[in-house]
Amino acid sequence: MIKKMILCSLALSFFSSCVAVKEYEKVKINDPDMALSEKNVHRLEATFQSYREAASGANGGKTGGGCGCN
Amino acid sequence: MKKLVSIPILFFITAMGFAQEKVQDSENTYKKRVLETAEVEFLTSLYTQDGDNAAVTGGIGSEKLIDATATFIVSVPLNDDDVLTVDAGVSAYTSASSSNIDPFDGNKPADPFQASSGASASDVWTNGVISYAHSADDRNNIWSAKLSASNEFDYFSLGLGGSYTKLFNEKNTELSVNANVYLDTWKPIYPIELRTSNLSRYGTITGNANYNPIFKKFGSKGRNSYSAGFTFSQILSKRLQGALMVDYVNQQGLLSMPFQRVYFSDVADSFIENFQLADAIELLPDNRTKLAVGGRMNYYINEIFVLRTYYRYYTDDWGITSQTASIELPIKITDKFTLYPSYRFYNQTAADYFAPYEQHVSSEKFYTSDH
Repeated sequence: MIKKMILCSLALSFFSSCVAVKEYEKVKINDPDMALSEKNVHRLEATFQSYREAASGANGGKTGGGCGCN
Repeated sequence: MKKLVSIPILFFITAMGFAQEKVQDSENTYKKRVLETAEVEFLTSLYTQDGDNAAVTGGIGSEKLIDATATFIVSVPLNDDDVLTVDAGVSAYTSASSSNIDPFDGNKPADPFQASSGASASDVWTNGVISYAHSADDRNNIWSAKLSASNEFDYFSLGLGGSYTKLFNEKNTELSVNANVYLDTWKPIYPIELRTSNLSRYGTITGNANYNPIFKKFGSKGRNSYSAGFTFSQILSKRLQGALMVDYVNQQGLLSMPFQRVYFSDVADSFIENFQLADAIELLPDNRTKLAVGGRMNYYINEIFVLRTYYRYYTDDWGITSQTASIELPIKITDKFTLYPSYRFYNQTAADYFAPYEQHVSSEKFYTSDH
């Protein structure tokens, strides 16, 4: 767990060292497929996965409750 | 090892609705609306699976399942800053394993590998979520709240939650925190042999004729889930951005499934027809804590291809650890049609309380054969 926390900290420091991209330079970043969340259509797939898998969370979606399956 | 074949078929239709474009010209300033137009999304899916390790029948038996789902998501801009979203869905399924909660109500001899035809063979899950989001004038602070409810025959869930998002560094960096509470209630449905005093009406008990299961109805029927999440996202270049996500969940209450059978190796087996009668039902602790840490990295290759990657590490205090990784390559065929080929990898360890069919012993404190 400590190793993972160190890795996360390194990743955070790496991110924060980046040069800011200006608004007018974000055409590619703003492409709908670049969104950092699951697309709505994947929600249904995530529901099926919760029938079969123990793991959930950390994907921008529901993390507990809502059905008896998780 | 469970063998499952799944065929998710997903259709995605997005319709853009009407809009009233509004220019705010007080003090001669223009504020871009958070959502320009009302949006309606309709999602539908068909899912099938099969397998031979049904938890309802203690780790053996058919897992055949068909699920059809339809969902509407309507987002309406209330003004320049506020958006109301209503999300309503219905999911109808037929399941061989849940049909065997009562395997004696079909026309064929009871058998864990055959679906029965009684009431538990199908169910309908309905779900509704209302959420409201408010963005500050500078669009660097976003608050949201949501209320949800879902219902199926033996389960009702009520949820509420909220989130706060802060953008800074010229909107290159985003921090978000969220919290959710789900207050769920079971209407426990137990295997038929445990709620019937006169088993002989279903047939003659063979094997151990002195059938004597370990069974006590659950006292608590509530299941509460409390979750807290944190997301950090960062634009790394004009083509690359990533995010780190952490979710913590604590669940309390009835975490066992009341209709899942367990068969003990130290208890003589009892049968009616081809169906083995439950030695007990699944019994699990009434508290569980889960932690999931995930990351996403998306790269814009060109006007046709985007590379989307995802990794998640999961652990909980029931002894489960899991890793999930996926890679997706959206291909823009035309302006209005995108193909989403993807590959997903998932593995997990078994819970401390898990053992396959007939491998638990009756002296254990907790037990499940849910693969």
